[in-house]
Amino acid sequence: MKSKADVVIIGGGVNGCSLAYRLAKKGLDVVVVEKKYLSSGATGACGAGIRQQWSTRENTQLAIQSVKIFEQLSSELGQDIEFRQGGYLIAVHDEKEMKQSEKNVAMQRSLGLKVDILKPEEITGVVPILDVKGMRAIGATFCPTDGHANPFRTTFAYADAARKHGAEINTHTTVIDVKTAKKAIHAVVTDQGTIQTNVVVNVAGIDSKTIAEMVKVKLPLTPFRKEILATERLQPLFEAMVISFKDGIYFSQQKEGQIVGGIPIPEEKGGYKTMPTLAFLSHMAQTLTRYAPVLKHVNVLRHWTGFYDMTPDARPILGEVKGVKGFIQCSGFSGHGFMISPMVSFLLTELIAEQKTSEVLESLSLERFKGKNIEKELSVVG
Amino acid sequence: MRIRAHPIIDFKKRAELPFYFQKKKLVGEDGDTIASALHATGVRTLTTSLKYESPRGFFCGIGKCSSCLMRVNGVPNVRTCIAPLKEGILVEMQEKLAELPDAEFFGEPKKTIDVDVLIVGAGPAGLCAAIESATQGASVLIVDENQCVGGQLVKQTHKFFGSKQEHAGTRGIDIAKELENDLRRLECEGKIQVMTDATVIGCYENDKKHRFGVVERHEYKSRLYDVRCDAVILACGAMENMLLFPGNDLPGVYGAGAVQTLMNVYGVKPGERVLMVGAGNVGLIVSYQLLQAGIAVDRVVEAAPFIGGYNVHAAKLRRCGVLIQTSHSIKEVCGEKKVEGAVVVRLDENWKPIKDSEEYIKCDTICLAVGLTPSTRLLSQIGVNLEFIPEAGGYVAPHDGAMQTSVKGVYVAGDASGIEEASTAMIEGKIAGLASAILLGRSKNKKLLAQYREELAQLRAGPFGEKPRIAKEKIAKLAEAHHA
Repeated sequence: MKSKADVVIIGGGVNGCSLAYRLAKKGLDVVVVEKKYLSSGATGACGAGIRQQWSTRENTQLAIQSVKIFEQLSSELGQDIEFRQGGYLIAVHDEKEMKQSEKNVAMQRSLGLKVDILKPEEITGVVPILDVKGMRAIGATFCPTDGHANPFRTTFAYADAARKHGAEINTHTTVIDVKTAKKAIHAVVTDQGTIQTNVVVNVAGIDSKTIAEMVKVKLPLTPFRKEILATERLQPLFEAMVISFKDGIYFSQQKEGQIVGGIPIPEEKGGYKTMPTLAFLSHMAQTLTRYAPVLKHVNVLRHWTGFYDMTPDARPILGEVKGVKGFIQCSGFSGHGFMISPMVSFLLTELIAEQKTSEVLESLSLERFKGKNIEKELSVVG
Repeated sequence: MRIRAHPIIDFKKRAELPFYFQKKKLVGEDGDTIASALHATGVRTLTTSLKYESPRGFFCGIGKCSSCLMRVNGVPNVRTCIAPLKEGILVEMQEKLAELPDAEFFGEPKKTIDVDVLIVGAGPAGLCAAIESATQGASVLIVDENQCVGGQLVKQTHKFFGSKQEHAGTRGIDIAKELENDLRRLECEGKIQVMTDATVIGCYENDKKHRFGVVERHEYKSRLYDVRCDAVILACGAMENMLLFPGNDLPGVYGAGAVQTLMNVYGVKPGERVLMVGAGNVGLIVSYQLLQAGIAVDRVVEAAPFIGGYNVHAAKLRRCGVLIQTSHSIKEVCGEKKVEGAVVVRLDENWKPIKDSEEYIKCDTICLAVGLTPSTRLLSQIGVNLEFIPEAGGYVAPHDGAMQTSVKGVYVAGDASGIEEASTAMIEGKIAGLASAILLGRSKNKKLLAQYREELAQLRAGPFGEKPRIAKEKIAKLAEAHHA
């Protein structure tokens, strides 16, 4: 392992690896340290959706620009990341939700996104297996350029490209301490050795709280266990991701044919819990077959858990932390870290390599939690 | 392809069950699985692979390899090797990804079961664990994927070695009957619940007790059980190992266990001429059983420079004129859509093929007896500490003398705890069953526990017990280290 680097990235998920790639491409000497293996945290456990339909302007902007990057990422990285644009269909269940949807769609359209509001009878035109009555929908919104990519392939492709540009990626390496001197980052101590550096990026997902404590920074993060199931493989039935904010369900059909989706269990509270629950399996099966009754015949093959690193406003914490020079924050994605990763790494690369900041980064700094008027992202699912 | 004359098993003609395969009427027999009935009528290709569309046939015979998935009465992805044959069913090949059936589905509501001990697997280890635990006073639920209990015993027609307590001199098939009788008696007394054609799908979060999901399969009517227990004994056996060679996925390449299942359980010939790969006890015994069923064994090839199994089994084969070639292995299978022959090759002292030593053999069946891997997926999901121990067959759970793993109340027994054989599996089952009853305060009989452990040590004392002995010593050391 190198003993010196321009930047040390803590965490080998999709955000850590994409940042490593972009920084290395700019000619910086980058070292990644990952406690387990690449994509072993939230990235590898995620639902793999890529959505642009958000309620806050920042998230919508980040997502639209991220999709532009995703569209050409396979050719940029030289590996197929299995990006597909089957759209996102968001079920709308009542008048209150419809009002919020209309507001969201107006804002999204103002940013150039193509989004439609569907009547109930138009829903099965997009996803034929849905039972509109069963899902109790009065309408839906649909964005055809939303989609899906393979989180493992994306992360590995970024990591390979990063290595080609000289980045060093160390898996099975645990950070023991982050040293500061004169309120600035000085070194990262790991179980495999110490790396001298002036810049640390904290992309450690739910463990980023522990990393931040090493430099006496408190992050308002709560881990929420989230569960996902995958069924056996079926012939192609639909292309869109179907989601509902009210029921919390989301599901899509993967390229290989399996249905993958999740739902929060009603009584779930935050905490470090990793065991899957039988309550999820029942609740998901019941809701999924209410939405698409034909799926009653399908067997579940796998079921796993991962974490959302929730912030109070369900938006990420990005950028340099005040008071610790060189400590760059990149976590708190609250369940949508994969889909905005292209823009997150782009903006942080500008910040680290060119000291360029942006309006979006400013609005997502840790500092915002000191203010009183925090705008909460409402369009959170799962 | 039915076996009618057999020196040990009485394969009487059973009641005929007509069914349809690709719309054509065929006839199977009562007691068949769908795949065994198809085999009996000469159908060896059951499905095609999704990516390259190559034909696939019966390989494992115990519901683990997924090369027998077919559509049954419209329901896709049915494991036909363990699904019982029923009169009038429509069986179809699944050429592409599964299509959903156009039929109503009546799911049964979830049920909760509270027991002292859950036992996963009703083979020799699981049955003995269940009987022991229930006899000591614990309430027991035993679950098995197959339609009948007995595990691999139901196809073992040879007489067992060892001591009298372990049924020495008795055939495996008869031991299975004895154990099932004991099990059914305890079931009648309400001490054991038996669930067959059911799968333990996972371990789930719970506060005090262990909690498992179990799915009992019924066509269009499966039921999910929420099982809570204080102790669980994982006796889920092992999986057949595969060898890498061109053509290893063709119909006609079987695991040794599958060959045994076909001929000894269902009375169906796997083929007419067999190449056996592997001269351990399984390879030798199955070769002899093939001869008993009237099937020709071309030869046995063994990559090692020596025969791994008992001499007595090898000698029996030799007396029947079967060639056993050590330092030989299979190079490739010949045939387009099915096995038509094979090329065997001689190996040097580094197990590398020797140039120009290839020999072509005409055969329609390749039987792989190249070892087993313990089934540890449930253990891994529970979070039990697993270690790689080559002598035990792969990843196994370090366990103490009472078969308890690193997680309290989670026990292992039989092949799932390290590959050995049925006699030791039965004692391990008894130990786990008794130890779980002691843990739950249902029994205080520590003297009996010591006696069982002594019997186990004696069984492993012989020269052929060396490998499992080494494996189990390593396992014990790891368990101690973990506890410390």
